Parts: sequence; structure tokens; C-alpha cells
Amino acid sequence: MIRANKLSVRLAGKLIVDALSLQALPGQVTAIVGPNGCGKTTTMKAVAGEIASTGELTVNGRDVRSLDPLQLATRRAVLPQSTTIAFPFTVREIVRMGLSTGLNRNAGRSEAIAAEALASVDLQGFEGRFYQELSGGEQQRVQLARVLTQIWEPVLDGEPCYLMLDEPVSSLDIRHQLTIMQLARDYCARGGGVIAVMHDLNLTAMFADHMIMMKKGKVVVAGAPADVLTDAAMEEVFGCRMRVSGLPAAGTPFILPQTAIL
Amino acid sequence: MARQMSLSDADKPGARGMMLSSLRAAASGDRAGLARLVIAALVVLTLLALLLSTATGASNASAVDVVVSLLTGEPSSVLSQRDRIIVFDIRLPRALLGLLIGAALAVSGAVMQGLFRNPLADPGLIGISSGAALGAVLMIVLGGALPMGLVGVFGGFALPIAAFAGGLITTLLLYRVATRYGQTSVATMLLAGIAVAALAGAITGILIYMADDRQLRDVTFWNLGSLAGATWAKVLTAGPIILISLTVLPFLSRGLNAITLGEATAFHMGVKVQKLKNIAVVSVAGAVGASVAVSGGIAFVGIVVPHILRMVIGPDHRYLLPASALLGGILLLAADMLARTIVAPAELPIGIITALAGAPFFIWVLLRGRSSAGF
Repeated sequence: MIRANKLSVRLAGKLIVDALSLQALPGQVTAIVGPNGCGKTTTMKAVAGEIASTGELTVNGRDVRSLDPLQLATRRAVLPQSTTIAFPFTVREIVRMGLSTGLNRNAGRSEAIAAEALASVDLQGFEGRFYQELSGGEQQRVQLARVLTQIWEPVLDGEPCYLMLDEPVSSLDIRHQLTIMQLARDYCARGGGVIAVMHDLNLTAMFADHMIMMKKGKVVVAGAPADVLTDAAMEEVFGCRMRVSGLPAAGTPFILPQTAIL
Repeated sequence: MARQMSLSDADKPGARGMMLSSLRAAASGDRAGLARLVIAALVVLTLLALLLSTATGASNASAVDVVVSLLTGEPSSVLSQRDRIIVFDIRLPRALLGLLIGAALAVSGAVMQGLFRNPLADPGLIGISSGAALGAVLMIVLGGALPMGLVGVFGGFALPIAAFAGGLITTLLLYRVATRYGQTSVATMLLAGIAVAALAGAITGILIYMADDRQLRDVTFWNLGSLAGATWAKVLTAGPIILISLTVLPFLSRGLNAITLGEATAFHMGVKVQKLKNIAVVSVAGAVGASVAVSGGIAFVGIVVPHILRMVIGPDHRYLLPASALLGGILLLAADMLARTIVAPAELPIGIITALAGAPFFIWVLLRGRSSAGF
């Protein structure tokens, strides 16, 4: 379990995350939602151990701040919003980086794992392509494949590992949004945990087991999507008066990911 | 060694099959095999360059004689006393110094580019070149005013020591400016580096303004760079510093690969980013400081060599760093041979050759390789 209690982050004197508490259980997709600038990404960075924070913060019961980067890297992998690189790496080289740092228990199988990871994000056959020549959505999926290889086994030595995904589907088409969210679900089904910063509330409702709605650095409401996504919460958090599960006026098409046949 | 890679051997199924399979792997994005082949070829070329460099020059000692004397260690029978001195006390230290400095400049360039995540970065960015130049010019122009005892102690080493100290002090200063709360911002370092270079340039300018004609000539030649003053003493002073850096830097390869994805991502992948930066900056400052101190300013090697290699074997630092060391050494030796022979018996400063040959070649590479480099 990843647990934060009264977690606060101050950036340049400003309180960005304010005494936030969250629990991410193995076997569950935990989604963080909220308006732009409410501190979702900062919360994620703090939980990942990347930036300084105060308050209690543990992964599988161990203090995150007492673990060195290598120990952290064996327990959680982080997908940033976007990654630009200055050098002409091929897709294969990028994905294999996930296996070359950190603790690699699968040294002999790294070639097979890299190929499997690429296939899981629907990029089989892209090994020889240059990363810089791919589209934004393809680049995001390459990075996800790299992140997956870093903690390839969802449970290592009896302890769960966690994928931390910052807007994992933000630049993907709708089919790949579903593919990637399903992949996150599968990771949980095999014993790992997922924390994802999300913008698409429909996908969140569909795939998250637990969700946290944030506003101005604080948790407004947390719980199962059915309990969190209410008309009142939408208005309070997003400042948007709207009806949850309301139908649009007749004649306006709408497409819900929930209707997809996977 | 040279025979293994000769044409007839390459045609044999084994060697040829190996090359073909490496090329096939490279096409599917795995350039490790290709990189190993390139490094093996560069090792052979390095030995060849070392040999050629010790065999060419104004003396008529032939290459064969030199090899025989190098290998047997009993030179008296083949080489005359005069040729022995020329080969062992003049050409050999010069060739070794060229190899070391070429390797130091190219590897430092590759490391800086990785650390700054920018293919245009060079060691000059962290203030070494400007600081070393300031130190050198200070010594050339004001050295005469030092108490005789001090100059006596350092003798011919006063200039290299001043250059080394200048480079190191500037780098440490810059590093302090860019480091806050235990974290070093490479962006701040880059900007501060530009400011410090301007400042050092201005002070150097004042000194040049004060200098007399002879000192002006010394300053100009130091800036153009040369291996002409190579001695065993210089090899033994600069060599260990450069060799330590060249030994340490390859250990940073995996971390540098991760940093190309961003410092935060590197941390997520388990890299101790701040420690890596500390080691990289100190090693580069040492290697380049020592190089500049004994050879002056040799431009361009640090940018051109890693760039060309990235186009051939890719940016993986595990192969890029050793390959850069070898190719840097080879190119500097080749440039030095040109510098020595083009206007013989006089010689050109090597910095002129590296820029004169390097710049047009680099532009040609850029025009030709744009697509295959991936940007």
C-alpha cells in the first residue's frame, strides 16, 4: 500500500498540496482528478519521492524518504506527462532503458520483455523506429512500455509494485485510451497497484476502483466513482453545473467509452 | 591486430556474417552489435594512428624500423642514436599526449551533451575553457612580475599550472552558483557559464591590452593550441588526471542514458542524479583542465566526434563514450600529423587544423545525415 497522511508540499513559498491524505491499495486503480493547477501532478511527484514534502509517506510500510532512488525504482515506476529527448534513440533502446537501470532480475529475458511490453501498448514492430519520428501518442505509449519493464513483475518478493501514471491517456485516441486503461486494470488484477492522474471522468468512472477529487491542494471527496461523481461534487470542484449521467438533448451525438466492446 | 581487420579477412564468412547480422540488428533498433564492431575497428585505427604518428616527421627513420624498435625494445641495432631520440623522446610522447587529449576532449564533450541534454553542449559551457585561458594569459603577461623563487619552483610548468587552476576555479565557482539546496540546475549553469565566459574574456582582454609584442604572440599561439611542446614530463603530469577521468566517466553511462529522458525520470529509474552530476563535472573539469593546460585551446573535437558517432552507433553512452575516446584520439593525431607536415619544417598550430578541416566536414555531415540522425 502507498499511504500519505497530512502530506504537504510548498513550492516557492506557496502551499501547493495542503495536508492531503490518500491510500492506494494493491489490486486497485486509484485515480486523482481535479481542475487544472489543483496540485494533482505535484501530489504525484511528492508521493514518488521526487520533490520534498512534509507529513507521513510510506510505500509498503516503509518511509519513502528513507529509501534511496534504486530501492524506490524497484517498487514504483513513474510515467511523466510527456518526455522529449535530444538524441536519436530508437524505440527498442528507450524501452530497454527501463530494464537497464534499477534492479533487473530478468537480465536474460530483457529482449523478450521489451518486445512484450511494446506489444502490450500496441506498438509491436516499432522497435527500429526513431523515438523523435513518432507521434505524441506513440511516444507516450513507448514511455509507458519503458515504465512497465521497470517493474515488470507486479508482485516482487511478495510485495506489490506500483505504476504511477500522470495523465497516461491525455494524447491517445479513444481506442488506445481503452487499451491503456485496460492494461492498468490487468496490472492490478495481477497484484500490483496503479495511481493515475486523470482528466477523462468517463474513463475514470469506468476503470477506477477508488478516486480522489482535489481542489486547491486538498481532497474534497474520495471514494468509489459512483459515490464521488455527483452533481454537487462537480459543481463544487470544477465550478461547473452539470448532471451526472444526464442525457444530452435529442439529436446531439455523444460517445461514451463505456459502450466499447473490448 | 591490423592484419585481423584487413580486407581479405573481412570477406571470410565469419567476419562478414558478424557484420551482416549486426547491421540487421541495427535496422530493428538494436545497435549494440554494430557499436561493438565500430569500437573494435577504432581500436585498430588508434594503434595505426599511433604508429604512423611516431613514424612520420622530418627524420628519415622508417615506419618499419620504428615498429621493430618499439616491439623489441632493442633499438640500437636498427635505429641510429639520433633517430632513437627523435622517436622515443619527441614523437612518442607527442603522439601519446595527442591520443590522451583527443580522448579527453571528445569524451568530455559527450558527457556534457548528455548531462545538459543538448547535442551542442561542450566542456566550454562549464567555464573550463574561459577560465583556463584567463589563467594562461595571466601567467604569460604577469608571470614576469612573480618573485623569481616561485617561477623557479614551477619552471616550464608555471603556464600549465596556471591554466589548470584557472579552469578548475571557474568551474567550481559556476557549480556553486548553479547549486541551491543541494540540487544543481544545469540551465542556471549554462546561463551563468555564458556570463562567466564574458567576464573572463573581458579580463583576458585587459591583459592583452597591457601585453607587449612577444607576450601577444605567446597568447595568440596558446589560444590556437598545439602539441608541439610535448615532453614525457607533460605526458606524466596531464596523463594521470586524464586517465582517471576516462576511467571514471564510463561508469556514468547508464545514468547518462536515463538523464536523456529528463532528470526527474532518471531519478524515477533509480539514478542518484545529484551524485552523477558531481562526478561528471569534477571529472570533466579535471580532464579538460589538464588537456587545455598542456595543449592550449583545441576547438571542435568535443562537439564533432560524439555527434558523428551518434549518427553511426546511436546515443547509448555505454558505447558512445569509449568510441568517442578512440575517435577523438585518432582525429587529434591525424590533425597533428597534418600540422607537422603541411608547412614543414615549420608547423601550424593544431587548433587551426581541427577547425579548418572539422568545420566544413561537420556541415557536410549535418546536411547529409539529418534524416538518419532522427532530428
